[in-house]
Amino acid sequence: MSVAGLGASRAGTLRRPSAGGPGTAGGSARPTKPRTGWKSLVALLVVAGITVWSAIAVGVDFGALIENANNASNTLIQLVQPDYSFFPQTVPALVETVQMAIIGTAVSVIIALPISFWASRATNPNSVALGIVRFVMNVVRSVPDLLYASLFVTVIGTGALSGVFALVLFNLGIMVKLISEALDGLDRGGQEASLATGATWFKANRQAMLPEVAPTYISQTIYVLELNIRASTVIGLVGAGGLGMLIDKVRTFYQYHYLSLIIFEILVIIVLLELLSSFARKRLIK
Amino acid sequence: MNDPHSTPETSGAGIRFEHVDVTYPNGYRGLKNVNLQIAPGEMVAVVGLSGAGKSTLVRTINGLVPITSGQITVGEFGLHGLRGARLRQLRSEVGMVFQSFNLAKRTTVLNNVLMGRLHHTSAWRTLLAAWKKDDVELAMQALERVEIVQKAYANASELSGGQQQRVAIARALAQKPKVILADEPTASLDPPTSHVVMRDLQRINTELGITVVVNLHFLDLARRYGQRLVGLRSGEIVYDGQGADADESVFESIYGRSLTAEDVLPETTAELS
Ligand SMILES: Nc1ncnc2c1ncn2[C@@H]1O[C@H](COP(=O)(O)OP(=O)(O)OP(=O)(O)O)[C@@H](O)[C@H]1O
Ligand SMILES: [Mg+2]
Repeated sequence: MSVAGLGASRAGTLRRPSAGGPGTAGGSARPTKPRTGWKSLVALLVVAGITVWSAIAVGVDFGALIENANNASNTLIQLVQPDYSFFPQTVPALVETVQMAIIGTAVSVIIALPISFWASRATNPNSVALGIVRFVMNVVRSVPDLLYASLFVTVIGTGALSGVFALVLFNLGIMVKLISEALDGLDRGGQEASLATGATWFKANRQAMLPEVAPTYISQTIYVLELNIRASTVIGLVGAGGLGMLIDKVRTFYQYHYLSLIIFEILVIIVLLELLSSFARKRLIK
Repeated sequence: MNDPHSTPETSGAGIRFEHVDVTYPNGYRGLKNVNLQIAPGEMVAVVGLSGAGKSTLVRTINGLVPITSGQITVGEFGLHGLRGARLRQLRSEVGMVFQSFNLAKRTTVLNNVLMGRLHHTSAWRTLLAAWKKDDVELAMQALERVEIVQKAYANASELSGGQQQRVAIARALAQKPKVILADEPTASLDPPTSHVVMRDLQRINTELGITVVVNLHFLDLARRYGQRLVGLRSGEIVYDGQGADADESVFESIYGRSLTAEDVLPETTAELS
């Protein structure tokens, strides 16, 4: 221990810094600006290029749109005149759609919670496990809901059960992404303090991160429920139960009066859910 | 052994730094050949400019920052290479108070204090929040000691800065620690509140015999509450002695300039003492 003689007469001891001395702390040379500008430019060009290429490939044809207008106007007139007498016949399918959405949401959000903690950099220090779960979840998310539905209809058969399975997988992808990203963005002070008390990561995450992410978790659950009302009608088109199957039936017979009633019903449910969710959000974030 | 109540009332552990070096992953040397010995039950204030390495120093003591070479001994634990269950065991005996309080804001004050009991609580109990009665009692007593028990069921976000920091101190106390580390615990607080928090720490030191290491920005707070003053500069210890003995030349060696009015906390202590 090197003790310098600067304060020799005192009880306290001044120790001499070994190298540099005063003025070397931190340094004062300006750093050169990292050259990242060209990266943004390249990214912009790539995005623009892809957009133009897509438009050409899809063959955006405004002429055809106008030609078909006559044909479409007939359909549209029927669509704005829903046939309310059809309502009683839609009730079972309507109930089934809502049930599918609720079950699909409930099952998926329960499974999604632990996976989200596994998939967030903020709550999982093991980068290998993190990489694996993220890769799997990316695959799960990249499959469209309609494809899941077709798959389960093929394997299990037509009906609501296939729909629920499809929704669960579809939701899992969304929910894990939303919640793990919410975890990434949280203040980690409580977690750091918990770890500093000798807690394991599991305990620190449970005690300090779960309460912080809870409001987001609940509001995203409501969001997923909303998505599911919509999604469950669409997947019904391929035979996975609910209003979608009914839509498929009336559409085949060109019963647009009926179709518009169904669309109207979906709209009402979505608006109701929207009100519920904004109410819930207000209660949560006080 | 897991029952905190079978052990006698806590008392301090000694801390010893031997040729400690810390090199951060980016190559920056946070600590250079630090040698320091802190006796059980001592209260030490660490001062230095921003970037001098104060946080690095205290964070090595509970392994939040790993040391590159040398050895730190805390009680019976050697910090070098300490990992896993042994590291958690050491951490359970060392409380930490942070500059930004580090509370979970969306849960109750009591839940924050109970974090101090996590090490002694099983994973299942933690998951289900099924706390043992004894642990809740311990948390309540810790809150009483910092005189904030009436807020036990309030949300942490509803508290003022000073109250939040006292909750953080209660959390450290709930660990029944042998050492409390405080990293600029008053930097986010106004002067009167700073004194309240510092006196809490001092009381804990004298009444419970817990060793306290506290980083401080203001020299006068350090002189007033630390029996002993350690001056850091560019990762090296440049002063180690009694706070009362630290004069102008000591100040210059730590801060590289002479004392100005900005270095002392505005005088607000009259009504508090
Ligand atoms: N994780 C890290 N990686 C690289 N360098 C770091 C890291 N943490 C701190 N440093 C550097 O180490 C030096 C000391 O930092 P430290 O936080 O210990 O200083 P401090 O004395 O606590 O300063 P302050 O008063 O600002 O809190 C600083 O120059 C800082 O830039
Ligand atoms: Mg610091």
